Amino acid sequence: MDIEIGETMEIRKLLFVTKFEDLCYDALNSLLALRNAALEHVIFLNVIEREKVAMKRGSGYLKEEEVKLKETANIRFIDWAENLFEMGMEVGAYIEVSTLIPEILKVVKRESPDLIVIGHSHKGAMKQLYAGSDVSELIRRTEVPVLVFKHMREDNIVPEKLFERPLLATNWSDTGKKMVEYIKGFKNVIGELHIMHVVKESTLKSPSAHDVQKVRKAERKRLDALCDEFESMGINARPHVYAGDPQKEIEKAAKEYQASMIILGSSDKAAILERWVGSISKNIADKSAFPCLLIPGKKNS
Amino acid sequence: MSKKVLVVDDDPDVRSFVVTVLEENQYMPLVAQDGIEGFEMIEKEKPDLVILDVLMPRGSGIRLYRKLKTKETLNQIPVIMFTGIALRSFLKSQKALDEFNGEEVPEPDVYLEKPVEPEELVAAIKKKLG
Repeated sequence: MDIEIGETMEIRKLLFVTKFEDLCYDALNSLLALRNAALEHVIFLNVIEREKVAMKRGSGYLKEEEVKLKETANIRFIDWAENLFEMGMEVGAYIEVSTLIPEILKVVKRESPDLIVIGHSHKGAMKQLYAGSDVSELIRRTEVPVLVFKHMREDNIVPEKLFERPLLATNWSDTGKKMVEYIKGFKNVIGELHIMHVVKESTLKSPSAHDVQKVRKAERKRLDALCDEFESMGINARPHVYAGDPQKEIEKAAKEYQASMIILGSSDKAAILERWVGSISKNIADKSAFPCLLIPGKKNS
Repeated sequence: MSKKVLVVDDDPDVRSFVVTVLEENQYMPLVAQDGIEGFEMIEKEKPDLVILDVLMPRGSGIRLYRKLKTKETLNQIPVIMFTGIALRSFLKSQKALDEFNGEEVPEPDVYLEKPVEPEELVAAIKKKLG
């Protein structure tokens, strides 16, 4: 999948990657709102980690364990698939003993989904089912947008209304433009879109309040134009200018406006930088309490 | 000449089971592992019978079944659905798609819910092919 700027993307096919402990039918159910956009096909993927069935001293390859895990997954997928089939949707499933990211990429190549959904556990860092490194590796290696799904029960934010109030954070990059085109594909699904730009502290270093206000006004005008663009497509949009550390401000805005998810772009430059300092999108996807939709930038082939 | 039976299933163990049953009963098995490959094989080989799974990657058996039954040159090929998906769900899916597409696709000739004993499968095949 490759979104060209100026081209609205339809979300027809979704790849739902689950280990069952993190993403279950309730999560899938919340994504079915996308049927009002164009969703018609769901692919399930369950990757059984090799170490669960790997050869162990004295026992060899645990074939029986593999059969048990595959059949358990198959029973769940059949149940979910029946629900979706009954709605007239198209469903496919993969259950593989493999390594997570290479397997996701393999299925992406075979199926060409428009969105990848993976889970993120709120368990301790050591116990995370999909560690942040998996998410950033996936973003680095695919051009398909990735939704990092999170359950937010402790915050009383209901995950089944995922598209009710998304918060889109833009930095006006090319990836940001791609993100805008992608979001237009959600036009029949989104309740109210909040769009924010964070003015970095370094931009506000002028001692003159007038100059600072000029920066705010200019950014606000750009956001207004973007809101107009969305509203011309029937998506209600509200602009917000924040100032400070982008990661903290995005999280703050998400809480203030009770966002149902955060939408962010992720550039290749950020992916390279993150090895040193951690990118904003990676950190938010990893640490935020909110589900995050990450739109990768164009890859250099 | 042996009658050709196409088995469309993504599970290699199931394909192997059905192929063995077919060979033991003097039918000529053909295999495909998903809905897209299955339809290509049907167009190319014009089998006498299709044994079709439902939940598969790259195109489910539901879509393949409907494609087959709405194509004039292929819609006479009998189909045995052979799947873990319950008949009730399959029929509901057909109803939803009939309404959505404004068409009426006939029910499959035979619907077998996995797991199935070899004798039951043979009986279903013989019922259609003799």
